[in-house]
Order: sequence, then structure tokens, then C-alpha cells
Amino acid sequence: MSVPHFRKVAAIALATGLGLGLAACSTKSDDDTDAAGKTIITVDCQPVGAQKNLLQAWNDDVKAFEAANPTIKIKSVSVGTQCANPPDFTARLQGGSMTDVFYGYMTDVQQVIDSGQAMDITAYANKDNIPNWDDVLGDAKNTFTKDGKVWGIPTKNYSMGLVYNKTLFTKAGLDPKSPPKTWAEVREAAKKISALGDGIAGFGEYSSGNTGGWHFTAEIYSQGGALVTADGKKADFNNDMGKKVLQNLKDMRYGDNSMGARQLLGWGDLLTIAGAGKVGMFVGAPDATTAIVTQFQGKYEDWAMGAMPGQDGAAKGTLGGGEGYFFKKGLTDDQVKAGLKWLAFEKLTVGKGQFDYARAKAQGEQVGLPQPQLFTPGSTSQKAEFEQRKANGNISPDDFAAFENNPVTIKFEPANAQGIYAILDGAMSAILTNPNANVDAELKKAEEKVNQLLAQAAK
Amino acid sequence: MAHQSETRSLVSFAQLQRGRGKVIYWTLLTVVVIAFTLVFIGPLYWMITGALKSSPELAQTPPTLWPADPQPENYSDAWERLDLAKLLFNTFYYAVGALVFQLVLDTAAAYALSKLRPKLGNLILGMMLATLMIPAMVLIIPQYVTVIDLPILHISLIDSPFSIWLPAVANAFNIFLLKRFFDSIPEDLMSAARMDGAGSMRTLWSIVLPISRPILGVVSIFAVTAVWKDFLWPKLVMPSPETRTISVGIYAFSGGTPQNVVVAAAVIAAIPTIVFFLIFQRSIMSGLTAGGLKE
Amino acid sequence: MAIATVPGAGIDVGSQAPAPVDPRRARRNRRLKDNLTGYAFLIGAVICFAFFSWYPMVRGVVMSFQRTRAGETTWVGWDNYERIINDPSFWTAWQNTLYFTVLALVAGYAIPFFLAVLLNEFRHAKGYLRILIYLPVMLPPASALFLFKYLAYDPSDAGLFNSILKGLGLPTSQWMQSTDMTMPAMVLASTWMNMGGAVLIYLASLQNIPGELYEAAELDGAGLWRRITNVTIPQTKLILSLMAMLQVVATMQLFIEPLILANGAGSEDSATSVVYLIYQHGFFQNDLNGAAALGVIMLVALIGFSAVYARLNAQQD
Repeated sequence: MSVPHFRKVAAIALATGLGLGLAACSTKSDDDTDAAGKTIITVDCQPVGAQKNLLQAWNDDVKAFEAANPTIKIKSVSVGTQCANPPDFTARLQGGSMTDVFYGYMTDVQQVIDSGQAMDITAYANKDNIPNWDDVLGDAKNTFTKDGKVWGIPTKNYSMGLVYNKTLFTKAGLDPKSPPKTWAEVREAAKKISALGDGIAGFGEYSSGNTGGWHFTAEIYSQGGALVTADGKKADFNNDMGKKVLQNLKDMRYGDNSMGARQLLGWGDLLTIAGAGKVGMFVGAPDATTAIVTQFQGKYEDWAMGAMPGQDGAAKGTLGGGEGYFFKKGLTDDQVKAGLKWLAFEKLTVGKGQFDYARAKAQGEQVGLPQPQLFTPGSTSQKAEFEQRKANGNISPDDFAAFENNPVTIKFEPANAQGIYAILDGAMSAILTNPNANVDAELKKAEEKVNQLLAQAAK
Repeated sequence: MAHQSETRSLVSFAQLQRGRGKVIYWTLLTVVVIAFTLVFIGPLYWMITGALKSSPELAQTPPTLWPADPQPENYSDAWERLDLAKLLFNTFYYAVGALVFQLVLDTAAAYALSKLRPKLGNLILGMMLATLMIPAMVLIIPQYVTVIDLPILHISLIDSPFSIWLPAVANAFNIFLLKRFFDSIPEDLMSAARMDGAGSMRTLWSIVLPISRPILGVVSIFAVTAVWKDFLWPKLVMPSPETRTISVGIYAFSGGTPQNVVVAAAVIAAIPTIVFFLIFQRSIMSGLTAGGLKE
Repeated sequence: MAIATVPGAGIDVGSQAPAPVDPRRARRNRRLKDNLTGYAFLIGAVICFAFFSWYPMVRGVVMSFQRTRAGETTWVGWDNYERIINDPSFWTAWQNTLYFTVLALVAGYAIPFFLAVLLNEFRHAKGYLRILIYLPVMLPPASALFLFKYLAYDPSDAGLFNSILKGLGLPTSQWMQSTDMTMPAMVLASTWMNMGGAVLIYLASLQNIPGELYEAAELDGAGLWRRITNVTIPQTKLILSLMAMLQVVATMQLFIEPLILANGAGSEDSATSVVYLIYQHGFFQNDLNGAAALGVIMLVALIGFSAVYARLNAQQD
């Protein structure tokens, strides 16, 4: 054994130990400016490759934006079709691997603040950086504001209604122009549609992957109920209204057998069934129809949307949701301003980015959906958006008339929504898969769990 | 493949060659061959054809044995939408890296523990073996927190292949297998090499490793299979679509993709390993059964 | 469970053959060098163990007594444990996991052994049968599970299993949608995709049984069954008991089956496993500290199990 040998071995071992560190460091790009002095920002939720038109539009927008703002460079990152899929989003947040400007749901605000990874942008969120900031819907802005501090910029806002298949309605002898307005009418229609046979379900409902709880929320809002008490400390669904929600579903599922055999559905499962034309109605937002067509092999001409059904008469409320962008902690002044400028361009300018209806129409995408509902009714931006939507719309105005003409009070998701949804999945799955499940018992069980979760969160 | 006939097993060979024994033997063999084919190939057939069906046909009762209207575009859709080439490459890259790191570092460690035996060697070995009792899942949260912010160095290994490669090295089972094999190498061989003036490195390289080919084969199979089969760990440490493994990628996309396309992706994902397995099945099988088993 | 090879008996950690005949000083010198080289060879693996095994063990315990909010960490005593144990899903998750473990032990332990004994008797088609049984092990787990989820366990009559059952005139099942069938269905899928490894390991140990033992037993008039109980099982006892241990530890870590087959919790929590609960707390409820506490509880339970197992084994010998 010679000394040089020993050295060599030690050197290799050390190099392995250290090399790791260096290599790992080099995988992270934390640059805020490039060699030419341009401000660099990374932005996520770039459409994925499968969404060809959307991706093309995004990339074109980045080019146009960079041309108009020569001092800014945008690096786009795609994080999947569902940009803030809860476990992945949490993992990125915990790991601090989000982009500089990162996408999130309105439900994520509390979690983002708690993580300590986001930046308070109160000082920047104003007309100087986003020209039409004052036109942006107050409710939407408020969901991104906590204790007077602004944490994010809303970029989409929607409310739920009843999505239905016109073709199946016609086949079942129902009028495709007047969708059911109450849960009792939904039940009747579901019965007729499922009577078509061929594995067709009249009404489809989620019960897994947190989507069950999400829809339970929308449905209890329609009853005039709430998920949690006003102070946010206790569950508030173990009552008559919660019971009606579950009882309606139970009656359809096991009383009439009009919800199909497949249950325990997650987001994609129900949309797959919808794309295959095997479900008559389900609760959803307007863009559910876009997903059915672009992702799930369905057809635009099959789908239309009505207002959220109510128990007796019109719904007393519906669930609103949305998305926005947050800013990573530690960005430079220039980076925040560049990020806001990009968001203003891509997400909030009428006629540009997501509001470029002329382009979407030319690409053959669906134009005319009553969303993203970002501007205060009556504001300049809202009027301009409405005009352009009407001018370029390529869907029959009738398809969403029942939804648009019957506006329902929008309520947003409570804090800790994802945790509550996970718990309510249990009640939904019980009602939809177990003929002997007891509505009262399931609500009580869920109530206890939610109370515990909230007590914990309040600590 | 009937070379085993010299050692008898439960039933003697002679018994199976005459009269009733022969009839029973052949009946049983036929039944088993048919049953195995149905049980193990049948589902694969169902999967391959299922992915060719349209969404309505997939939901049809009763199901069709052969797609009435085959849709090969489901496969091309899956390939493009899920960026399967990228996912397969990632998985392959992580597996090969894990293999290299384990072969180099674990072999070196096992060699040190078996032949060089530094003073604290037994203590270190004991501490390594203690981790055998602790299943990976139990430590997943603290491990994850560690990878996010590595102590002392304060770097994050999220989305970096090192977050798969380095934890893979901390594999007490492989070190144990290697060490036990090295232990069985006669000391005479080692001292002979030393007499010739060979250093530790050369002894390892030219004496120990060539003899240890079988056990290295076993460790390699374990290393690659472990990465291939792992799910929760890569799901946590590789949150970006560009860094995902194939299993995690398919799962991640399953939420936003029609079922027939998901199944098509599952089929495509299975092809490389099945081909790999069929090519190397002889060495994989013998490696699996030979290594570490002999008393 | 994944493939696992089993080390033979004779776990000797230290002792080695006698030293060669060097003069004392040379030997001492060599000892020193060997020591240094030894550490140099060890350092890579030791660093990895330190960062990814030893440190996380300590960190897990520490974390379970802390809470981190907005970047600030405080000590909270037993709070996390209290919360985890009071989680209404806590006992359900344990119940489900133990149920899965027991079922998987019956299916994933007895069936492979039976198959190995059977395969060992065949003089033909051996290679073919072995390849078949190992084929599912090579599939990516997600591939195999989506196959079961979408094509086999479809609760309508469009599914493979239900159409077979219907064809045979048997009652169909709701599979993952039935709280009673959730676990058996997960065990079935898991056994199908994992048992190849166990079968091959049993086969290898069966081939090591000396033929004379069977010869002698047969001469004593032992029938087929007696030969199995008196020769086959005693001769493979070591492997059998090690596999049982590995199988239990592997199945206790149940995660991907409920995640994919049951979308996580399944119908009425019937699929929730302990590891899934860890995941749920850590990444849905944003509670890494609670998740770490659950990890520690699981660790204690598994160590307890290993101790009991070791004691039982010692008593038997």
C-alpha cells in the first residue's frame, strides 16, 4: 500500500462528498439578472405540451411581452395540467422550489402565508404596476388579502353551476334549453336520463381526492348553508341543510339508481365519463366544458350550463373559486415589478393574453364562456371584456344563458379548505358507495373531524 | 430446460414417467401452463387492447374482447401528452446513477468493513445494520425535510437527481450482502496479493471484484429495481414535471387525462422493462436466486 | 412487497481468519495504513448514512415534539402526538393496515410457497413459467395498478372481473367501492404484482434440499403430504421465517395501492393506511410535524413487532 494510493482514494471520496454539493447547487438558478442586465423572473403554470393552442398562445405572449419590455426576461415553467395539485403544490412550497411568480388556488392563500415562503406585495399591488387594478373585482382581491396585507394577484374567478349534456337531454325527452332549477327537478331529470340505459348516469358526483368535499361545499351553499361558522372555528354543516345535500344524493344514488355504477370519482374520472357522453349532469364551473373537450375527448356541441339548483326555487348561494399568482420571498424590487407587469399583460389586460378572444377564436377554442369574471360589473374593463367576448364568441349564447341570466350569490371557500374537503370526501363516499350509510351519522363523524382540524389550525 | 433431473424433488422422476403418474403430471402441467398464461399474460392483453378502445367503448357493458374501432391515436396521445420519452429517460437516469453510486460507495464500504477493518469498523457496521430494522416509509418526513435543507451545507436537493442517488447509497442490506461475500474470500488470496506489493485499491480491483461478480450482479438488480419501483419518495422530491419518474408521472397525469390514454401510457411505460427483462431474464433469474442464498 | 433476497445464516460481524506471518512492526504499520485506507473507503457511504439515515432518525423524533409555522419553530411537547392519536382516522388506518398485512400474509406468503413447491416438480416449461410469474414484478407499479383500477375493478359490468363473474353466473362485486372488498381487492392486485420475487426465492431454496431426504422419507412409507411436512417445510424453515418477517414489514408500508386504486382514502376510509395518513397530514393538511409524530409511532410499533418476532423465533429453536 503506497501513500499516493491512499491519497487518490481519499481524494475520490472527498470529491464525491463535495461534488454532490456543488452539482446540487448548480441545479438551482437563483439569478435575478442576466449578463445583459435584464431582470429575470421565472413564472409557472405554463400550459403543458398537450394543450397545444394554449401553449402556443402563452409562448407567443412571452415573446410579445419581452419585445415590449426589453429589460425583462421571462422563464416559463410548466407544472402539469393541474397547476396547484395539492400534494405537489405543498411539496414545492415546503421545498422552496416554486418559481419567482407562482400559481396557486384561492384556497391556498393561508397555506402560502404559513409557509413563510411568500412575499407581502401590499406596497406593489396598485395602479402603477397594474393599470386596471381598480377594476378588478373586490371579492377576488379580498381572497388574496389577509390582515390588510396583499399576498397575491387574482387571475381567474369562477362560480359553479349545473353543467349538462344537451344531447342526452334531448334523447331523454327533456328540454335542453331549460335545465333543472331545483334539486327535485335534477332528480327527475336524472331518472329520465339514466333510463336511456347503456351505462349512462343521470347525475355524476365526486367523492375522492378532495373533490367530494369541494362539491359538498357548493351544494350546501346552494341550500343557504355554510361549511364553517362565521368565526371559522367550528364546523357548521351538521344541520338540516347538510342533511338535505346528502339525502338528495342518497336518493338519486340508491333510491332511483340514477347516478351510475361508477363512484369514488376524482376530477379526471368524472370528466372522462363526461367526455364519453355517459353522464347527463354534474355540478361544475363553466370551464369544465373546456376540459371535457380539450382533455377528455368530448364535444363542445354536447354541453351547456345552467344555474346552480336550489332546494325550493333558486339556489341561495354557490361556490366561487379561483386562482392567482403569488411572489416568492426575497425577490428584488425589479423582479416584483416585472412579475406584476407580466401578470397585468397576460392575465388582466382586455384583448391580450387570456382575454385575447380573437386569437382563441382563430385557434378554434371555445370563446364566450362567462368567466373568468375578474372585473367589477360596470367597470370600464368589464364592459370592454363583455363587448369583445360578444364580438368573438363562437358558442351558442343559449348554452350559458341559463347560467348567466340567473346569477347566484357567490361565496368563497373557507380557510383550511383542502383539509376540510378531505374529511368531507369520507361522507360523500359513504353516501355514494354504501347503500346502508346513514346521513346523520356521516355528518356527525365529519363534523367531529372538522372541529378537530379547526381547533388544531387555530393553535 | 430439464437439466435438474439428476437431483430428485418431492416426487421421484421415475414415478412421473409411467402410468398414472405420467397422466397426472401432464394434466397438471397443462393446467398450470394455461392458468399461468391467463393470469399473467391475460391482464397484459387486456391492458394493451383496452388502451385501443374509445372512451365510450371502454365504458360499455359487456366489454369487447377486441376493440370494435381501434384508436391507435390513444398511444400517440399518451406519448406526447405525458412526455413519456422524458419520463422514461428520467427513470433510467436515476436508476443508472443510483446503481453507480451504490456500486462504488457501497462496495468500497463493504470492502473496508470486511478486509481493512478500521478500528471503528464494527461500530459503523452496527449502526448501518440498525437501519435495517427501520422501514423507509417511517423516516419519509424527516428525510424529506433533510433533503429540502441539507444540514451544514444548507442546500436543497429538491428536483436534483442526488436526492435519489445519495439516499440509495444508505442501503444497509446491500452493504451487508457485499460484506458477507467479501468475508468468504480466503485470506490467503489477500495476503498473497499483499506480498506482491498490491495496495488496497489494487487488491479490491484485481482480486476481490472479479471474484465478486455474482454478488455485484445481485446488488445491481436490487439497486435498479428499487429505483424503478419506488413511488412516494420520488413523488416528494421530484415535484416538477421535467424531473418526474415514470410511475409518478403517470400518476400525476392520470387526474387530467382520459382513462384510455392513461392505460396507453401504462402500457408504453411497461414496454422497456419487459423487453429488458426478456433479454436478460436468464441472468436476472439466476442472480436473484443464486445471490445471498447459499448457506 | 418488492423482491427481497434473504441472507443465509451465520451473521458474523467481526471474526476473521488468523493474521499472516509478518514481523510485528510491519504488521502494526500495516494496521495503521489499513485503518486510514479503511476510513477513506468508508467515508462516502458513511456520509450518505449520516445525512439520509442517521440524522433523519434523530430529526424525526425532534420534529415530532416541535411545530413550525411561518418559518418559526417552537417546542410543543406531546401536542403532535395528541393530535395524531385523536385524529378520527388514526385507529381506522391502523386497523386497515393490520388487516391488509394479515390478508397479504395469507395470500402473499402461502400462495407463493405452494406455487414454488408445485413448479419445482415440473420438468418441462420451467423457464416459461418462471418468466411469467416474474413478469408483473417488472411492470412499473403505477402501470399495474391502473390496469386493475380502470380495467379490472370497474364496478359496472364493463370491468374485466365483473364480466368474468357474470359470465360464470356468479354475483358481481363493487370492488373498490365496497368497504368489504376494498382490502381483498388491494391484496389481490398487490399479490399479483409482487409475488414473483418470493416464488423465485422459495424455488431456489427448494432446489437446495438434498434429494436423499425425500428418498429416505419415501422408503419409510411417507406419502406426498408427509413428505411436504416432514422434509420440505423443515428444510426451508429459515427462508420461510425470514420471508414472513420481510413480508410483514413491507406490507405495513402500504401506500401506492390505496393511493391509486382507491384514490387515497377509498370508500368511507376503508383504504386509508398508516403511511397514507402520514402523507395526508404532511402534504394535504400541511402538518409535517404531526406526520413525523405518526412516523415515530409507526417506528415504535415495528420495533415492537421485530422484538416479539425475534423472541418467538428464539423460543422455537
